[in-house]
Amino acid sequence: MSTAAATAAPAPSRGKQAQVRVQRFGAFLSAMIMPNLPAFLAWGLITSLFIAVGWLPNGILGGFGNADDPGSWQGAATQLALADDGTTFQQYVGMVGPMVTYLLPILIANAGGRIVYKERGGVVASIVAVGMITGSTVPMFLGAMIVGPLSAWVLKKVDSIWAGKIRPGFEMLVDMFTAGILGAAMAVGAFFGFAPIITGVSDALGNVVSWMADNHLLPLMAVVVEPAKVLFLNNAIGNGVLVPLGAQEVVEQGKSLLFLVESNPGPGLGILMAYTFFGIGAARSSAPGAAVVQFIGGIHEVYFPFVLMKPTLIVAAILGGATGIATNVVFGSGLRGPAAPGSIIAVYAATPRDSFVGVTLSVVLAFVVTFLVAAVILRASRKKDLAAGGGDLAAAIAQTEANKGKSSTALDAMAARQGGAVPAGADAEPGAPAAPVRSIVFACDAGMGSSAMGASILRDKLKKAGRADITVVNKAVANLEDDVDLVITQRELTDRARRHAPSARHVSVDNFLSSPVYDDVVREARAEAEAGATERSTS
Amino acid sequence: MTELLSADLIVPAGRAGSKEEAIREAGALLVGSGAVDPGYVDAMLERELTISTYMGSYLAIPHGTNEAKGAIHRSAVCLVRYEEPVDWDGNPVRVVVGIAGVGDEHLSLLSRIALVFSDGERVQRVLDATTREQLTAVLAEVEPA
Repeated sequence: MSTAAATAAPAPSRGKQAQVRVQRFGAFLSAMIMPNLPAFLAWGLITSLFIAVGWLPNGILGGFGNADDPGSWQGAATQLALADDGTTFQQYVGMVGPMVTYLLPILIANAGGRIVYKERGGVVASIVAVGMITGSTVPMFLGAMIVGPLSAWVLKKVDSIWAGKIRPGFEMLVDMFTAGILGAAMAVGAFFGFAPIITGVSDALGNVVSWMADNHLLPLMAVVVEPAKVLFLNNAIGNGVLVPLGAQEVVEQGKSLLFLVESNPGPGLGILMAYTFFGIGAARSSAPGAAVVQFIGGIHEVYFPFVLMKPTLIVAAILGGATGIATNVVFGSGLRGPAAPGSIIAVYAATPRDSFVGVTLSVVLAFVVTFLVAAVILRASRKKDLAAGGGDLAAAIAQTEANKGKSSTALDAMAARQGGAVPAGADAEPGAPAAPVRSIVFACDAGMGSSAMGASILRDKLKKAGRADITVVNKAVANLEDDVDLVITQRELTDRARRHAPSARHVSVDNFLSSPVYDDVVREARAEAEAGATERSTS
Repeated sequence: MTELLSADLIVPAGRAGSKEEAIREAGALLVGSGAVDPGYVDAMLERELTISTYMGSYLAIPHGTNEAKGAIHRSAVCLVRYEEPVDWDGNPVRVVVGIAGVGDEHLSLLSRIALVFSDGERVQRVLDATTREQLTAVLAEVEPA
């Protein structure tokens, strides 16, 4: 370890570190959203087809039909609803509502939790997400993106308090109850502590929009409306604020541009088209399909994740939205009633004859402006994203790296040494060859016998070498995950283990009881500890 | 330790002359103690076909498959010592530890056995032991890790 490298590195790396942090945050958002794109698309398709104003309206699937009608489909989930005449009836629940209310936020929370703390994190994040969803009537996407990773992080910290101190045989029990109890507690906390905050944010945004409309700051409304939209507050803002205000104007002027502020499909199309031409990876290939669902089907939600995974694109959406509003102001155009859903067809259906030009231009110009700005943003970061391995892959890599960097709670000294000694340019390099070993898994076929024996022997040896901080556990190969540094298996199982944990180091043994491998591992761990000690004493 | 490996599950001088006989002998002990159904013994033989449970140091640890866990009523471990080595896929085995494990409660006992058998001097004392008391004494010397 040369001290020159250690002292030279920090100076240029500070700015770079900030940049890396921003990139990691972007990659993190992307990794939370990207794997769930199919669910967004599925929901978008179901919605654009089956809701009351959809292409194949279906009261059972769309969730607006009356289950009390004679001869209606029986057995599906229903809920009591209020009819126009004030009576109540059993209304089908359908798939549209449950998917957007529960499925999508839970999936996002799960993905976020999983990034932070693997399967366990995902499970706890999902539990907590339910607390948050049911604690409010506002869609909980923003909440899911915050609470998911946060609750997984809390579990990780709590686990680390007693990691390695539990008597063998009780790990499973303690793990179960920690996650279960913590999950239940945090779900209640989210219900009362967090959901009201999101409700408050939604209400505040609505008030701002309403105030802007009153004060004729119309194009500025895009600054609030577009970000609120991508956080899935589109209905709260659209139906909750803009439609009632628009309805007032219709009474006075016969039309209102407020109906088109949230439902203008131009900005969304611009985002998706920019991805289609300048995006990379999975996002690029799914953007065209999403564009159809969004522009024709009117389900704007399908473009929100594309913004969420690259938040700078919100600038493009705001500028496009503002352009659309300004166009309508200039032409004095507007809609007769709300365009729901925000499909180009629904928009034209609500367009009065004298507003045809203005409305058309407002959609087209909003699209063009958003597309151009988004294209510039995507082009600018394209090389970087590609260099990092492309789309979701890049996110996965960056995330793995980020996790590796911060998972070393027990080994702060070693982490610090690494950070100081590795040249600044190298921190984008995944999987440095001599990565220190912090977690070891013994894997065997059933996880019942031999791996447990091997694990106890190595654990004992490491303890005697003063490295009890390295975790050694045993598992069935089938349960192996790619979150460990070293995997030890019987020779016959090594290939299978490698498939389950491709980024770990793999070692084969013929004999779990006494293998030269154990002494190698112990020697390596001891050397690391000593190197860490010398480093600390010289610096 | 004594709960899972009670005195009647320790046999200082087994009779089996082949691997299959040894597995049946260990299995019979587990069945006899009421820990497993007789079907578990077949699962132990089946498990042996996939990967040998020979562990090295004259030790083999036959156990059932993941699917056979339903045949286990409670976790139990038996230990059979052989005066003459049993041929275990070409390896000499002097000690057979039959395992019926549900959950994790048998792991600390396995840990003890593993630590004993990773220590050459203790292995020798197990091989030389002729009574139950001598066998349990060696196991009691180590602390599960």
